Amino acid sequence: MDLMRRSLLGQLARLSAGVALVPLSSIATAGINAQPARREGDPTKRYGMLIDLRQCIGCQACTVSCHIENAAPMGKFRTTVSQYEVEDQASGALATFMLPRLCNHCENPPCVPVCPVEATFQRQDGIVVVDSDRCVGCAYCVNACPYDARFINDKTQTADKCTFCAHRLEAGLLPACVESCVGGARIIGDMRDPNSQISQMIAEYGEQLMVLQPEKNTVPQVFYLGMDERFVTRPVAEAALLEVLDDQGKEMGYEFRGH
Amino acid sequence: MDKSRRRLLKGAVAAGGAATFAAGYSDPLIKLAKGVTGSAGEKPKDRIHGNSLAPEYSVDLKTGELTLNPDQRVAFTICYGCTTQCGVRVRIDNTTEKVLRVSGNPYHPLSADEHLPMKTPVVEALRGLSAYAEQGQQNRSTACARGNAMMSQLDNPFRIDHCLKRVAGRGERKWEKISFEQLIEEICEGGDLFGEGHVDGLRTIHNHDELIDPENPEYGPKANQLMVMEATDYGRSDLLKRFTLNAFATRNYGHHGSYCGLAFRMGSGAVMNNLVSNAHVKPDIKNAEFIMYIGTAPSQAGNPFKLQGRLIAKARAQGTLEYVIVDPALNAAASHAADNNHWVPIRPGSDSAFAMAIIQWLLDNQGYAKDFLELPGKKAADAKDEVSHSNATHLVITTKVHPRESFFLRASDLGLAEAGSDADVPLVVDAAGKLVSSESVLAAELFVEREVELVGGETVLVKSSMTLLRESANEYDLATYAEHCGIPQEKIIELAAKFASHGRRAVVNCHGGMMSGNGFYSAFGVQMLNLLAANYNRKGGSSVGGGIFNGAGKGPRYNLADFPGKRGPKGVFLSRSRFPYQKSSEYKRKVAAGENPYPSRAPWRPIAPPTLTEHLPSALDGYPYPIKALIGCMANPIYGQAGLEATIADKLKDPKRLGLFVAVDGFINETNRFADYIVPDSVMYEVWGFTGAWKGALGKLTTACWPVVEPRQQKTAEGEPVSMDAFFIAVAKRLGLKGFGENAIPDADGNLHPLNRAEDYYLRMAANIAFLGKPLPSASEDDLAHSGIVRLQPEVEKTLKEEERGPVNFLYARGGRFEDATDHYKGEQLKNAWTKTLCVYSETIGTSIDTMNGEFNSGVPRHSHPLLANKQPMREVFTEQEWPLLAFSFKSNLMNSYAIGNERLRMIKPYNPVQMNIKDAQRFGIKHGDTISIESPGGEVVGLALVSESVMPGSLGIEHGYGHRDLGATPHIIDGESQPDMPWMRAGLNINDLGFRDPTRNVDGTWLEPISGSAIRQGLPVRVTRLGTS
Repeated sequence: MDLMRRSLLGQLARLSAGVALVPLSSIATAGINAQPARREGDPTKRYGMLIDLRQCIGCQACTVSCHIENAAPMGKFRTTVSQYEVEDQASGALATFMLPRLCNHCENPPCVPVCPVEATFQRQDGIVVVDSDRCVGCAYCVNACPYDARFINDKTQTADKCTFCAHRLEAGLLPACVESCVGGARIIGDMRDPNSQISQMIAEYGEQLMVLQPEKNTVPQVFYLGMDERFVTRPVAEAALLEVLDDQGKEMGYEFRGH
Repeated sequence: MDKSRRRLLKGAVAAGGAATFAAGYSDPLIKLAKGVTGSAGEKPKDRIHGNSLAPEYSVDLKTGELTLNPDQRVAFTICYGCTTQCGVRVRIDNTTEKVLRVSGNPYHPLSADEHLPMKTPVVEALRGLSAYAEQGQQNRSTACARGNAMMSQLDNPFRIDHCLKRVAGRGERKWEKISFEQLIEEICEGGDLFGEGHVDGLRTIHNHDELIDPENPEYGPKANQLMVMEATDYGRSDLLKRFTLNAFATRNYGHHGSYCGLAFRMGSGAVMNNLVSNAHVKPDIKNAEFIMYIGTAPSQAGNPFKLQGRLIAKARAQGTLEYVIVDPALNAAASHAADNNHWVPIRPGSDSAFAMAIIQWLLDNQGYAKDFLELPGKKAADAKDEVSHSNATHLVITTKVHPRESFFLRASDLGLAEAGSDADVPLVVDAAGKLVSSESVLAAELFVEREVELVGGETVLVKSSMTLLRESANEYDLATYAEHCGIPQEKIIELAAKFASHGRRAVVNCHGGMMSGNGFYSAFGVQMLNLLAANYNRKGGSSVGGGIFNGAGKGPRYNLADFPGKRGPKGVFLSRSRFPYQKSSEYKRKVAAGENPYPSRAPWRPIAPPTLTEHLPSALDGYPYPIKALIGCMANPIYGQAGLEATIADKLKDPKRLGLFVAVDGFINETNRFADYIVPDSVMYEVWGFTGAWKGALGKLTTACWPVVEPRQQKTAEGEPVSMDAFFIAVAKRLGLKGFGENAIPDADGNLHPLNRAEDYYLRMAANIAFLGKPLPSASEDDLAHSGIVRLQPEVEKTLKEEERGPVNFLYARGGRFEDATDHYKGEQLKNAWTKTLCVYSETIGTSIDTMNGEFNSGVPRHSHPLLANKQPMREVFTEQEWPLLAFSFKSNLMNSYAIGNERLRMIKPYNPVQMNIKDAQRFGIKHGDTISIESPGGEVVGLALVSESVMPGSLGIEHGYGHRDLGATPHIIDGESQPDMPWMRAGLNINDLGFRDPTRNVDGTWLEPISGSAIRQGLPVRVTRLGTS
């Protein structure tokens, strides 16, 4: 691990990863900062995800399986993989960088306190969810999330987001994205169980792990291995796909933008 | 400094996700401004889980006890998402019979990390996918994005579920629905079917008593005027070939190979001494140390997609492998998240320059496996504990115009053995300089050039294979090779040295990138590197894989290879392949008339397999002969073969050139748009069949496909779903062909069984597979309950003998039969080995004659610029001044050639912008995001310029899978009703629209690779113009 990397944002990222290692029982009900008390979910667990970017092949199997499993509207995503092109400044060599994104199920989720009706809340197992019975679709949470991880579901007219496939975890199954991860990059697990794969990987790779936008103090619980710290903040990059043209060169727009 | 620090962000590429992840903003912001409160939406099923699917089963995390969800079932079958043909687990709603979601079959080597042993009870396999003890993420079995999305094919709005007959001119997209029985009658009996005059039916065409052309009797019987083509073997080719080759017995069956990767396959076959089935290998990624991927890339392209992607991902994380991606475009395989890989840009279609440069360096620097290559024969290999040997030391007669020119010098040439006998082995030179039998010494000289006196007293010049290879590699110097391929000389040397330094754990792999003007020799040269490294059959080297459990042969239960009255096809293929032109009547007539028999009217390719690339254009031009009927099964050459539409579309529309065209397909694609009749086929998870793997898997495997859901299309009068199987069975029965109907399938005791329904064939094939070698045990009741095969039981009981049912159920319950992964290695060797003599010099190719100039083809790989059919350099006819860029295509890691109808794939990647290098963009005044016109000698398309440095200067990259005109891209009218108009299905462009008719041919044809007849799509000459800014 090079010094440069460690001395920069890596510090913050490492701190965030560290949170997962401290006993969480006290935090779970007390709430941190302005967070309302956590409710529902299994208080003995704290779910998190680790994504080994070296093993992400950018195939988008997670994107599609999640979309199907969770009946997301067309054109809206609970998870997806962004693909970037990077250049070696010295040699000019180019490479691709795959960045899977989803809700970070933050330890300090900014989306929760802004909800005027307490529809969005954090469960005791750390999963941030939306109670659609309460949600009025005001989208405060959508705007509060610095990770663009939420959207308004046009069918239900409520806030929609990744739940780590809580319905599957509760059935003893794996989230769709984890189950279908072709490269084996996505690892989910209970970070309070020191023997879980994720706990062991956090212990093993601790200081190499990074999270997105640590400076926002959201304390994300999705950890990235093999991360380039410049992707920790939203990279300034030129979009590759600007438009959709038909065979005559006529602009058609995005087919699913109306949803 | 860490590599990542030095890298500059360049741009977001590809995944629409990057843009659309944030798409949730716009509406809510408006709502916020308006102060709307309360949700007006549809109430989801669950307040927390929304409309997420109910789990298929649940597992107690403490005990592991598994409880099935009675409303759903899980069944294992095949994915049709691409040609990898992975085994998948399909989750089905028992009430609606809808497929809910698809993932991988844990028993399947192409889908699972470590596939489960067959003996594993199904319930345990399902438990292993769960979170219980975190098993499911320690050993996953996955489906890729396509595999996940493809289920929408089942209820795709463009699916054809009824027999159709055209009601307007061919290709005009107007149809009426007819009954299956009417369709069969019209196709078999013919008549004035379209008010355009008489059409011969299949009964008339099925004529084995008369010749097509008495002037050219070698063309064979009139029955050859039926041509059958299919996309590829999705598990039903055995039945299709039973009809085509052995019941109807026409010579003309073709598949997509020649516009897919045939140049690669033949190049591989040349090294592996198998130009019959064109054997090929894949790297043992797990154990390799250095791999050069040339014109293929794991996780971007290549086959098997998931398996290679998964293995490369692991190797990257574990740091066991260094690899390079030699390709005109940057792709997903070159990963910034790990340091042990990088991209090397190469000019399209110049791979032979790169390969020959590496060969030259290896030969000049002793960078080859000397000890292995010196093994002259099997005896030496056995003594050295090697499973194979090569012909590197064998001697080729090079004296011109000698009857034995280009053949190996054999014992019989010196009168030491009878020609053609077992003792007639190749001769080599031993360490003492003596000519000896290749089976008599443990080592022989690699580089030989000398005169030899033959038995008749004449003297000939012989050169060893290695000498010929060296001469060929030295045809150009490194600097010239570097200039031709665009890779700096230092880089070539660096790669060659690295390749050599890893010995037998250095591997190369190539595929679709070889579909270029010199594609065969490019692939031959690339694969030669594997031989020079002696990595065949080696752990960490090149693996031929395990092959299949073949149920279609003379099996232990049923003989599916033979049947009473079986015929064999006779005559010349439409593609004039695998037949020596010198034996044709045309040749003989020319010689008799004192004319130069060369060039032939159009290429005859003595070594190439029957190629669909030549079949259609040749048939429509009537050379060697015209056809009267065409049946296509899912085949789409018009979309897939560069330049074909422009070359043949008008002729295809002409009923005088082709009387009858029947398409069997669940969809109307660009090719079967021109059909007269469409037979609705089963789709995806509704089909029967058995498939294997395209190498890459080290063990033996056969995937079982069966209708895990009921086919949704029209039924026959007997109540069977109309399908490919039902169609051929019905035609065969109506024409009274043998091998179908009653008494068609002999069992092992010689009793005959019927073939009236698809099950009659496939269930018996299943019995064969289940009983091969050590028979499979019987499935337990529990297996049946957990694998969704309860619904299969009535068919199993109706069709199979009692003792066959248990093992057949065991097979279907696991989605096939798979060799256990216990150990694929024996020391440093792979257990499944390729034992034929590996070829530095291919005698088969070296003794074949190019019919366009009458010269021998080179038996060793060589570099050449791409040529047209008359041997004129392509760049002489289509100059760089006029056509400054070379277009190439690459496989999409998302979209497949027939997947455009999947909305979830369009949702992620709706379009394929054209990749252009910034230097070229500046040259032509084009900016990132400009709309451009791309013109070639064969056509013009419009695209959006994606300007970057991620593509080789001078080339233009086009991702394959877009630019459709059918499959939903243009509505068809059926019974007066129009299909929906979905403009987004037409988005993007197809490189094959830039292909062209070879102007130097006398019989129409697209630009084809000379040896293999492969369609050329890598390195098409084009020019670009800016149309506007978007």
